[in-house]
Amino acid sequence: MRRTGFTLGFAALAIVLIMMAGRAKSFGATAMQDKPVTEVKIDNFVFAPNPVTVPAGTTIRWTNRDDIPHNVVAEDKSFKSKVMDTDESFTYTFSKPGTYTYFCSIHPKMTGKVMVQ
Amino acid sequence: MNPFDLKSALLAHHAQHVVLIHFPIALFLVSVAFDFVAQWKRNAALATAAYYNLTIAAISTIPVLATGLMAWRWQLEGQRLKGTLLLHLVLGIASSVLICMAWWLHFRGRKPERTLPQYRLALELVGAAVVALTGHLGGFLSGVNSPV
Repeated sequence: MRRTGFTLGFAALAIVLIMMAGRAKSFGATAMQDKPVTEVKIDNFVFAPNPVTVPAGTTIRWTNRDDIPHNVVAEDKSFKSKVMDTDESFTYTFSKPGTYTYFCSIHPKMTGKVMVQ
Repeated sequence: MNPFDLKSALLAHHAQHVVLIHFPIALFLVSVAFDFVAQWKRNAALATAAYYNLTIAAISTIPVLATGLMAWRWQLEGQRLKGTLLLHLVLGIASSVLICMAWWLHFRGRKPERTLPQYRLALELVGAAVVALTGHLGGFLSGVNSPV
């Protein structure tokens, strides 16, 4: 009887631990999903949307939808992507508030602005 | 960028390709026009002008090809050759070959014992079409032909 009680207690503890681990895992996944990512498309030689206003800590993902290679270069040189082929992306996280202007160094008339609050 | 910074102007990602490319395009198209008019009007002066334009056009294809390849390796960071980029490269090489072939026919035809072959006119027309198409695609790569 005592042994059965011990086994049941152990099983209950195991179930509680497994549930806690599951919650922790799902919490972690939620935290990952909550990290804000804003999409900026490069299409027809235009950054869209432009300008972008985001809170500090936001990650911006630029994706090249053109058949022509493009890149993303900050005017203050705080970030610079490699040249992106069609459907390739570049991400950068803006941790400090401010206004960041950027352009495509291959086609310098393509410009964009990110306002971080 | 300082527009008067010589280093930037000459070495910034080999942007010279888009500058130099105007020389063979203009010289070749003018030489084709001169050659056609020279043939039609039987004008030796125009034929000579066509030959010299063609000579400089053929010579200028060398730095244009070199800077084009450098622009691909450095400005475009050696992007995978596909689509517009691949077509521009293939047509660019074809244009250079056609310009040099046209020049060779003229060079050979200027020798006293030889005459200019008539088929050169067809070759020059094909060359002009290929040059135009290459330039059109190059305009998209450089952003000149962009919609905005």
